[in-house]
Amino acid sequence: MSMQEWLQIIAACIGSLGFAFLFNVRGLRLIVTAIGGLLSWLIFLLSHRYLSSEPVCYFLSATIVTLYAEWMARLIKTPTTTFITASLVPLVPGGSLYYTMAYAFQSDAQRFAEKAVYTLQLAAALAIGIIAATAFTQLIFRFTKRRR
Amino acid sequence: MKEQLNCAMDIGEQLLLCGAEVHRVEDSVRRICSAFGATHTDVFIITSSMVVTVRFDDGESLTQTRRLTNGGTDFEKVHQLNALSRRICAGGLSVEETQAELQRIMQIKTYPFWLECVSYALIAGAFTLFFGGGWIEAAISLCIGAVVRLVILASDRTVANKMFAKFIASFASTALSFLALHLGLVATVDNLIIGNIMTLVPGIGLTNALRDLFTGDSIAGLLRSIEAVLIALAIAAGYFLFVFVGGVVG
Repeated sequence: MSMQEWLQIIAACIGSLGFAFLFNVRGLRLIVTAIGGLLSWLIFLLSHRYLSSEPVCYFLSATIVTLYAEWMARLIKTPTTTFITASLVPLVPGGSLYYTMAYAFQSDAQRFAEKAVYTLQLAAALAIGIIAATAFTQLIFRFTKRRR
Repeated sequence: MKEQLNCAMDIGEQLLLCGAEVHRVEDSVRRICSAFGATHTDVFIITSSMVVTVRFDDGESLTQTRRLTNGGTDFEKVHQLNALSRRICAGGLSVEETQAELQRIMQIKTYPFWLECVSYALIAGAFTLFFGGGWIEAAISLCIGAVVRLVILASDRTVANKMFAKFIASFASTALSFLALHLGLVATVDNLIIGNIMTLVPGIGLTNALRDLFTGDSIAGLLRSIEAVLIALAIAAGYFLFVFVGGVVG
């Protein structure tokens, strides 16, 4: 992994930690959230080496980080939202949202449309990833409970 | 029984205001009511209102509604309320004890304001780096982030409207970014604005909205989606206003 990529991963971690402070997350849960932020971009970069489609990588990363959040939430006995909300912030498509705005301002209709659709794709990939992981966890827990 | 219902409503209300998901709050309220002895509980919650009806063995029933106004996300409170409702459901917690515990949870403080400014600064700086900005850009973005938090504070103290706060924050961060460009500190404003937009975007709001939609809370999901879209528009409006004004003035 290049220097630039490591820098991005650390920045993602700090960004998530910042949001954790804003949402009044405390104690051990701060660290769990920061690691979640780090993981989200690490997984994106790793999967992007093998898969060219960015939305697919977003989906993969969101899924794995949500699984991590669900698992941690059960360990620490706290609602999953605590970890999901701040950990997935690096995957929020703020950059492409900005360029969508900028192209709209420049009246560049074609690039505006491209960026707008792309932003929506990333947001959808993120949401579907979270939903898939949540559904999967519920399934697993229902299954293991019935067995006991 | 009124008191028990009141307790359950209070817990539900606080959970929702502090950022728990709708279906989770409905579930908690239902469990708490049955732990307090209701035979049947109907709960309906959307982001701005909750209706709870409980029925008892003797056929009597009780209904309460609450109007919910905006609160800030506070996961420490959610954590504590969650622990409290677990204890209630495990049994052995009287109404008085619950009320006392609830009082204690309501007193929980958020992080001090200066730390919020530092967080805004850290988020803005980190995401400027993240999206490819250099160290100088990150340092400037850091400063703008802290100022943006102050702008939001000023807006909350005077206008007290969430949309307006996002609008004016977006306007301020755009203006300060162009100021940095004008002073020759940076070559482009893009990375500065992106870093500061990250503190404002409703990305997670939109994601939670979609989650609500998919788990079947359609109305709550739609309300939250619309709110997220409006916030995005407010941010865009703040940006546009400055760029237009800047373009006209020169």
